[in-house]
Amino acid sequence: MTGSSLLSVRDLSLAVSHNGNQVVKSVSFDVGAGEIVGIVGESGSGKTLATRAIIGLIPPAVRHVGGTISYRGRDVLSLKDRDLRQLRGGEIGVVFQEPMTSLNPSMTIGRQLEEGLILHTKKSADERRAAILDMLKRVGLREPERALVAYPHEFSGGMRQRIMLASVMLLKPALLIADEPTTALDAVVQRDVMELMVELTKAEGTAVLLISHDLPMVARYTDRFVVMEKGVIVEQGQTADILSAPEHPYTRKLLSSLPFRAAPRKLDMSRTPMVSARNIVVEYPGRKGLFRKQAPKRALHGVSVDIHVGEVVALVGGSGSGKTTLGRTIAGLVAQSEGEILFQGRERSADWRDYRLNCQMVFQDPYSSLDPRMTIQALVEEALRLVPDLDGAAKRKRALDTLDEVGLAGDFANRYPHELSGGQRQRVAIARAIARRPKFLIADEPVSALDVTVRAQVLELFSDLQKRYGFSCLFISHDLGVVEQVADRVIVMQDGRIVEQGDRDRIFDQPQEAYTRKLLSAIPALDLNQTGGVTLKWRLEA
Amino acid sequence: MRKFTFNGVIGGGLIAALVITALIGVFWTPYDPSALGFTSRLAAPGAAHWLGTDEFGRDVASRLMIGARASVWICCLTVAFAVVCGTLIGLISGYARGWVDGVIMAVNNALLAFPGILLALGLLAVFGANQYGIIFALGIAYTPSMARVVRGAVLSLREREFIEASRVMGNGEIYTMLRHILPNCLAPITVLATSMFGWAILSESALSFLGLGVPPPAPTWGNMLAAGRPFIEQAVWLGFFPGLCIALTLLGINLLGDALRDKLDPRMRGLK
Repeated sequence: MTGSSLLSVRDLSLAVSHNGNQVVKSVSFDVGAGEIVGIVGESGSGKTLATRAIIGLIPPAVRHVGGTISYRGRDVLSLKDRDLRQLRGGEIGVVFQEPMTSLNPSMTIGRQLEEGLILHTKKSADERRAAILDMLKRVGLREPERALVAYPHEFSGGMRQRIMLASVMLLKPALLIADEPTTALDAVVQRDVMELMVELTKAEGTAVLLISHDLPMVARYTDRFVVMEKGVIVEQGQTADILSAPEHPYTRKLLSSLPFRAAPRKLDMSRTPMVSARNIVVEYPGRKGLFRKQAPKRALHGVSVDIHVGEVVALVGGSGSGKTTLGRTIAGLVAQSEGEILFQGRERSADWRDYRLNCQMVFQDPYSSLDPRMTIQALVEEALRLVPDLDGAAKRKRALDTLDEVGLAGDFANRYPHELSGGQRQRVAIARAIARRPKFLIADEPVSALDVTVRAQVLELFSDLQKRYGFSCLFISHDLGVVEQVADRVIVMQDGRIVEQGDRDRIFDQPQEAYTRKLLSAIPALDLNQTGGVTLKWRLEA
Repeated sequence: MRKFTFNGVIGGGLIAALVITALIGVFWTPYDPSALGFTSRLAAPGAAHWLGTDEFGRDVASRLMIGARASVWICCLTVAFAVVCGTLIGLISGYARGWVDGVIMAVNNALLAFPGILLALGLLAVFGANQYGIIFALGIAYTPSMARVVRGAVLSLREREFIEASRVMGNGEIYTMLRHILPNCLAPITVLATSMFGWAILSESALSFLGLGVPPPAPTWGNMLAAGRPFIEQAVWLGFFPGLCIALTLLGINLLGDALRDKLDPRMRGLK
């Protein structure tokens, strides 16, 4: 801890009002002036609630049942509303997770940034304008003058998060609480925003409380961090110490859940590829309206991909790179404007029925990919509806066996999707996709929406099933860590074109293109040590 | 999990009472509902006539029992008509999109632009004022709002991943529509249908009031309410009891509708 403590939380306990369940139990930690402290935990660990309490924003259903929070020696929990408002924004700034909803869509950026200044400072209008322009420049907006009169929807997610950061840092708070500030952004943007945040807060001497489920990210930027599980702090200490020698089993579990590179596999690449896409062009039609004409937008500019028998090919790239469009085109959900897609060497339209039976897809969001009104068993059985040579009883048996294989045996079959956790739902989605024993599977960000430890389990399940059934797979992801674990070959995409492709080890160890290197610089290379800890090595952007 | 909810019990009780009364009315009523009694005109509720008599000395209770049949029958068929047609049109419109949607919605919006009762009046002029004319006219008047709501639900549902998943499985459009989209539209359909029931009862009353409903002397709650209006100062029960019947029926249907919607939705299971 550096110098005197700025924020000191002691034995904080919070409980759900109606049943008395403690969701945060005796949590104690300190943040020193100018220090960066992390809180790491999965969903339900209480990390967000504990930090909401610091600014007096716990939801009405939750009650404070014990402990103190002191900020510069003042007891935050006993402050009046008026003093609390003074504290929020002025002294303690907050950056939330969702940049799409944390800015008011009907106010210009200039007005929104000015609000805080009017509330907390006595600057004149001209001084405010100068301060805002200066700050917008510092967060990397190219045309700050124009941004002043622009609305939030005119900016991308990464830009909005920069603007959010600008609005908070404008007031020069002593403490910045960043709650999953980059989770909604893709890997490259994520790193840029984090780097900017660290740079700004260092310059202003602002302390940061960084809350995230992303352990490597927290480890990269913090001096010290806290690990929370189910409302309890299980471990805290210097970042380097925890990484190299974690003491608590949960910390070890978190570390071992990080994706590690699997041994490379030998595959027979001489046979006809399972699926090959040739020169695929996808164009979204423009508008030929009476009042407004819009040029057609090209999402894919002639992309060719081969996926061999039993091979897992990863498609990586930032948002807008066209990777999802390519996946959906191959799945037959989007029609290509040009190019052809061959299945086992034949144009797939020659036998759509056969292609449909053999090509399945796992979607990103386990919350919307399952029909909420069907039971788990019905969902999996539905996938078998069109399979020939299976009678009703055989289908039922196949559905139950497949559920068993994905670890959902027993009474899960009769439950509905809303009764399952995110990880369990994704298992159902996987069961549904493999129940037909497809030869080819498209997985669109299948683990992006899952917690770290659950992600590790689902990935392991996926690898097991892939080995058992030997299906070919197109694995779409923006998370290179995950890709490193599952893929045989990697294809990097940017702006609707393939930038680089090659064997996984080649791409990860000797990236040729600048964009690939940029992607790789966002994720660490991991080495396990004997004590259950890891060494994180960051690849530098050339 | 509790099997019955408060809403379900109260709503179900009211509707059951209504149906039983209407059924009894088919076989037996305290008096002949169309028997005139000049000695007992505008009699107050009492032992002889429980709910009083009207200006022709007809027994109000008997007429209400007979009227229940007509009113409920008209409302049920009207709502059924609007639900079936509206859902079908909404499904097609929302699922097909493109020019099909454009044409359907243009017609739909044109119909919506008329006040429902005005539309029904116009249609009644064509079909003639009888029970089935009313059902048809009101049904057509209510169809556009149902179509609108269903289309909206379909439009948002068809972008969900489970609809794409169904396409990837190779399921046909019709199957996907009936198996995945329709069941997920049930909640808004139920809510709208129950409120339509209320509108239908009121519109039927209004049409009877205007003389375009079921022609007298056959009683419906609506024309009884209308007939009671001139006598509101001397015989308040003439308007009060039909009004009370309408209000209780609407309450029952709305409560039952809520309970049904919750019951049909698996997501509501296990919640308090």
